[in-house]
Amino acid sequence: MSKIIEIQNVSKEFKVLNRREGLKGSIMDLFSRNYKIVRAVDNISMDINQGEIVGYLGPNGAGKSTTIKMMTGVLEPTSGGILVNGNEPYRNRTKNAQEIGVVFGQRSQLWWSLPLIESFKLLKDIYRVGDAEYNGMMEMYRELVDIEGLLHKPVRQMSLGQRTLSDILAAFLHDPKIVFLDEPTIGLDVSMKAKIRELIHALNKEKNTTVILTTHDMGDVDALCRRIVIIDKGKMLYDNDIEHLKSFFGSYRTLKIRVDGENSIENVRAELPDFMVSEQDEWVSVLVDEEKTTVMDVLNRLIKTLDVRDMRLEEISTEDVIKKIYEEGAA
Amino acid sequence: MKKIGFYLRIYRKILAQDLKSKMSYRADFIISTIGMIFTNIAGFVSFWILFKNFPSIDGWGYYEILFLYGFSLISLTPVQCLFDNNWSLRNYVYSGDFIKYCFRPINLFFYYQSEVFDVKGLGQLAFGVGTLVYSWIKLGLGFSPLMLLKVIVFLVTASLVMIALQNAAAATCFWIVNSFYILDLTLKFKDYAKYPVTIFSPLFRFIFTFLMPIAFIAYYPSLVILRPDAVPLLSWLSPVFGLAFFYLSYKLWMFGAMKYSGTGS
Repeated sequence: MSKIIEIQNVSKEFKVLNRREGLKGSIMDLFSRNYKIVRAVDNISMDINQGEIVGYLGPNGAGKSTTIKMMTGVLEPTSGGILVNGNEPYRNRTKNAQEIGVVFGQRSQLWWSLPLIESFKLLKDIYRVGDAEYNGMMEMYRELVDIEGLLHKPVRQMSLGQRTLSDILAAFLHDPKIVFLDEPTIGLDVSMKAKIRELIHALNKEKNTTVILTTHDMGDVDALCRRIVIIDKGKMLYDNDIEHLKSFFGSYRTLKIRVDGENSIENVRAELPDFMVSEQDEWVSVLVDEEKTTVMDVLNRLIKTLDVRDMRLEEISTEDVIKKIYEEGAA
Repeated sequence: MKKIGFYLRIYRKILAQDLKSKMSYRADFIISTIGMIFTNIAGFVSFWILFKNFPSIDGWGYYEILFLYGFSLISLTPVQCLFDNNWSLRNYVYSGDFIKYCFRPINLFFYYQSEVFDVKGLGQLAFGVGTLVYSWIKLGLGFSPLMLLKVIVFLVTASLVMIALQNAAAATCFWIVNSFYILDLTLKFKDYAKYPVTIFSPLFRFIFTFLMPIAFIAYYPSLVILRPDAVPLLSWLSPVFGLAFFYLSYKLWMFGAMKYSGTGS
């Protein structure tokens, strides 16, 4: 496997004006400029191989967009080195652009008033795609999605889902080595989300395109990514396989029980003082770390004192783990 | 050269597509064309009223000023037709949508400007050519291929200056939030381009020549045709100035665009 992206000790700092409050403060800001340095990305290193789909996760304001902008050449790193396909993106922006595709969930890059097919033809010229490659790509698109209905529709008349789909197809059209997808499923309905995920999966498989996916939707991550990278406050928190993620944070399972009688949650808490206990509807959830104690053990302790009517066992979801990482990262 | 051919081909294709889609909004097309005709007629009327009262301005007669007027209308056509997207730049920058232009393997300035072609400018071109030809005949300037060449060269010069002004004004949005006033200001100032720069005070003459070079839009280039016996050095230099202003404005625009980092998402 060959490395397609190499990021080494990259940091990005921004100068931000310390704004004062109120009108008086604003006027003072005009005269004295009191800057502070904010580190949006703090000493991040990672290598990404050709053909990987990497989930790039982090809470809002974690520095995801900044990293993506540095990889696409829009921003220059303050320190450290980035190589994308052997190029320094910021120095060779146009050359880098030829090798990458970018999709922003909410911002279409297609010509607003043109039918999709005309946008494709323009992109074919701009990226100097040969006729044979172009026709091959269109052939493949026809097999993957029902594209005929979209081709002659102006982009402005499309639904958000159709537009996202079109944007993704446009991003892959010149057969780039890497495609950056920034929240591609944002605002889409369930079936459209599934369609988009299938499409990304198929394109990655067909063309061995590297995909960097930022998202807040764990469904995307579960469906597509084998590897995930999590950052928060500019620092890297996690970089490994998705299976590893769950064991990394202990082998947690959630035991859910329904208890007869008043104050069920208080009673459970009294019985299990060291556990994370929460309540939703009539169900009381207990988070069990199986490396310390077994679920059966916990259940036995509860049955002794409480009148447990019903029980359910839930595996921890990716979403729960990520939430835990974000919360611990923030603490 | 190969590169220029590549860009021209892309521009032609984008232009053809853009025109096709514009024609599909027929009402919009017709109304804006009518609006443009009225704007131009209003311009002529105020011009005519002015000359009813003052037979000449600083030694410049009616047809000579008309010549300047036509000259400035023609030289404003390229900026109107080809660079109209400059007016939207501040919105793209403010909302963060400008980032979508940053990922194509072609020149950013070209890609951005190519997106919009304003057909209304062509009507203005017709007005301008009509006015210029009419005043040319009335002035009895005669005709020779050399004169035609001179007019074309100096029209290109004048257009470059106007484009440069607008580029520079639009590019300010990379640094300040509301650059509309600056753009609007240049638009208003260019109205003064229709008059001989000698009617202004020395201070404004200096400003209009070097800082806000609107005197190059019509006055200095026109002198070559209208006053061939006493052409100032600045007139002959105006093609150089035109190219220089355009290049500087392009560099400023690109500098701002490369500095741009977008809003978070």
